[in-house]
Amino acid sequence: MSVIKKPDLTDPKLRAKLAKGMGHNYYGEPAWPNDLLYVFPLTMLGTLTCIVGLSVLAPTQLGEPADPFNTPLEILPEWYFFPTFNLLRVLPNKLLGVLAMAAVPLGLITVPFIENVNKFQNPFRRPLASLTFIFGFFTAVWLGIGACVPIDKAISLGFW
Amino acid sequence: YPVFAQQNYSNPRAANGKLACANCHLNQKAIEIEAPQAVLPNSIFEVEIKVPYDTTKQQLGANGKKADLNVGGILMLPEGFKLAPKNQIPAEVKEKNKGVFISPYSSEFDNILVVGPIAGKTHQELIFPVMAPDPEKNSDIKYLTYPFYAGGNRGRGQVYPTGEKSNVNVFGANQSGQITEITVTEKGESTILILNSNGKQTSQVLPAGLILSIKQGQVVKADQPLNIDPNVGGFGQEESEIVLQNPIRIYGYLAFCFSVLITQIMLVLKKKQFEKVQAAELNF
Repeated sequence: MSVIKKPDLTDPKLRAKLAKGMGHNYYGEPAWPNDLLYVFPLTMLGTLTCIVGLSVLAPTQLGEPADPFNTPLEILPEWYFFPTFNLLRVLPNKLLGVLAMAAVPLGLITVPFIENVNKFQNPFRRPLASLTFIFGFFTAVWLGIGACVPIDKAISLGFW
Repeated sequence: YPVFAQQNYSNPRAANGKLACANCHLNQKAIEIEAPQAVLPNSIFEVEIKVPYDTTKQQLGANGKKADLNVGGILMLPEGFKLAPKNQIPAEVKEKNKGVFISPYSSEFDNILVVGPIAGKTHQELIFPVMAPDPEKNSDIKYLTYPFYAGGNRGRGQVYPTGEKSNVNVFGANQSGQITEITVTEKGESTILILNSNGKQTSQVLPAGLILSIKQGQVVKADQPLNIDPNVGGFGQEESEIVLQNPIRIYGYLAFCFSVLITQIMLVLKKKQFEKVQAAELNF
């Protein structure tokens, strides 16, 4: 296996750092040159090979020419807009729809302000932020699926 | 029939992606495409369109008698791709395609191939032998990913190109009222008389072979179906993509992969060597 440097516990500087929960770079496998010079290029080359392989085996697709006078059979935005697109088409009033779309980032901005007295980073100790994420995530997936089905099933997904 | 599309549409695919077949074959039934992911220039390959259906079912023929379903297909290849010349088609494909005549859609579009109608019982998989173009000979062709479209149909259509309904349809009552009389001629056609509340009587002739869903004396609403839907077929369309691959790129990529592999092994070996130095000097 690789060489491991033992922590020099006689060094008062290191001991002070360890007491603060820092100084972990003083021991273990040295970053230079073992990792930085030898292992990093190895992984970079591996990634590059994968990307080159994809570009060789699946080159760019030449789509059909655009026609401004033609509406496709299915109109859908990019997939990450599906949930807000569904909001826009389900809400009866256009202004209401646009406001609902704007409310999504605005609502997310408020989350750190509502729970800002909480000093913990652990998601289990930040119930409000975590619940907002979980609830918001499932709502977004639900609405996103709804965007792909006919409008009468856009909210119910055909379950009721 | 493909010939109807050939007569009426110079390009069978509308700009929104709908194939012309769907204008007459109103029922939808899924199909599947099987094609290679990539092909080399000038190579012969097969594109398979699967048109599955329940072969125990029979449809209504044009004469009102029960008949087996026919199938047909259309394959819209990228420009430059053509039907393979007869002498280059592999023997096994020739064997499978016995009695199947695949033809180009028109002289203008020889990259669009049509087949059918052929007996559906023996041909639920339509195989198109295709020859890939060569970018060396034609500068319009590039090594790229191309989309292609396929459609497959089983059974007769519901509308003729002239707009008339065929007998494979559900016919609706032409007015609301009570059915006073149903008479069946010796040919099998049924004439239905409907009397509405104002005393106006209309008569309607339904083609032979249809199974009526109404009885004499029954009260019907306007457009209420008078017969059970005889349609057992349907048309489906699907799209996929194919890569026109340059063999030199593949060789180049393999050489590149090999050089990367050698470099990675060398890096690991060098690291192991240096670790020995580190362990000996104990100075890091």
